[in-house]
Amino acid sequence: MSRSKERSISVALATATCGLLGSSIPAVVDAQEEPNWDINTSLLYYGEDEDRVQEFSLKAIIRRLYTDDRVFTFGLTIDGLTGASPSGAIPLDSPQTITNASGNSVYTVPAGELPLDEEFRDTRVAITANWQQPVGESSQVNIGASASKEYDYLHFGLSGRFSKDFNKRNTTVSAGFAVASDENDPEGGAPIPLSSLLDIGDLSNHLGTDDKDIVDVVLGVSQVISRNLVVQANYSFSNESGYLNNPFKILSVVDATTGDTISRVAGPGGGPSHEFLFENRPNDRSKQSLYTQAKYYMDGNVLDASYRYMTDDWEIDSHTIDLRYRWPVGNDKYLEPHLRFYTQTEAEFYRLSIIDGAPLPVYASSDYRLGDFDAMTAGLKFGWKTSDNNDMSVRVELYQQSGSIPGGQIIGNQAARNNYPDLNAIIAQFSYRFKR
Amino acid sequence: MKTVLAIGILLICSACTSMGVEPWERDVLAKDEMQLTTDALEAATDDHIYFSKEASSGGRGFGGGGCGCN
Repeated sequence: MSRSKERSISVALATATCGLLGSSIPAVVDAQEEPNWDINTSLLYYGEDEDRVQEFSLKAIIRRLYTDDRVFTFGLTIDGLTGASPSGAIPLDSPQTITNASGNSVYTVPAGELPLDEEFRDTRVAITANWQQPVGESSQVNIGASASKEYDYLHFGLSGRFSKDFNKRNTTVSAGFAVASDENDPEGGAPIPLSSLLDIGDLSNHLGTDDKDIVDVVLGVSQVISRNLVVQANYSFSNESGYLNNPFKILSVVDATTGDTISRVAGPGGGPSHEFLFENRPNDRSKQSLYTQAKYYMDGNVLDASYRYMTDDWEIDSHTIDLRYRWPVGNDKYLEPHLRFYTQTEAEFYRLSIIDGAPLPVYASSDYRLGDFDAMTAGLKFGWKTSDNNDMSVRVELYQQSGSIPGGQIIGNQAARNNYPDLNAIIAQFSYRFKR
Repeated sequence: MKTVLAIGILLICSACTSMGVEPWERDVLAKDEMQLTTDALEAATDDHIYFSKEASSGGRGFGGGGCGCN
């Protein structure tokens, strides 16, 4: 059916309906033409224990809804980050002094403690914009752009997605493509991979800025199974190339027998007390993932279950199971318990430390996020309708990571120390959604 | 092998066309809580947190960069 024919039928129906109700047609048509606003806002607190990363974040997603399913979406995020992040160096039985990544100061780590780089302090502003437009009777196009800026990081991205409905709109097939270009500009310059940490002020081990390019492809299908059940499956491919190192991460250079970090004499202006190297990762990474999700409605309750398998050419495999159960309480409130289970294997170049005197590996990183660990999230959300029919919700979740060092990587005295402490974090978010 | 694959794809496709609902049976599926992404802000928040703390990202949507945290 052509759009004009459909519209003329709509107008005829509206005329008949309005005639019965005794109201005028133009008022109805005007109401349909009015744009609608759907505004989502939230305040997030994310806090890790042991004075590690703390984050406050303000987020908003503003959707302007036009007729014919055209939608403009604008997103804004402002993150404030403070705290400390593991540097990658191992704990020792004696204090150790380490140069900051910027090379212009040092920090001292007490004996027995995991070295944390306390230079971690940043503000991040991110914006996204997206236009959704129907094409013909059963297809849709989305075009988006994103940008974000941190003190030492800049991101630009573009994305496009095409989807088509089949089978009375019970089946939707989609294909998406995204490209991004990110620039890393750490203070003092990006460090030379596997170069030694030097005395304060010696920046000969630093280069300038470095960047990476990212390409993402997502192919998806969603299917309505019954009145109460909808499922979807996505295949994703992602490639990053360029500077993939974390400029803040280092490794300890250790004795082959004792496993203790090799001592070093610092210059008169101060410098590291032991030998450390900046990490080095391959300059290319391809990831593939399969994501499946099901939503099932059971007499007012909704079960949302998803599973993701990811594998990449750094030999990291991961499995993620996410379960949410929305449970109505009265007419306008609900409780939603949330459980998430995650497990990953370590990257092939993950190593706790570098052995002094042995041939230097081409790639090495002791970033705990590239290690072998399990994680679990448990949370509860409470949502309610306000008196003016808007939505508010509060959720509190606990996130825990528990990792292990691969067998054979623990040397001598390292066995007696906790080289991979658990990460415990709390996530608290208040959200307010209103429509105008 | 190709025949088995072709039959498999045909079976899946024919199963898809017999699955689903009529347009007037979409009352439940049209509810906010039955959308595949119910809360876009919460989904974006979670994606960002886990992108920063784990080696995996994406799946639900694009997994690209945009943060110096990883």
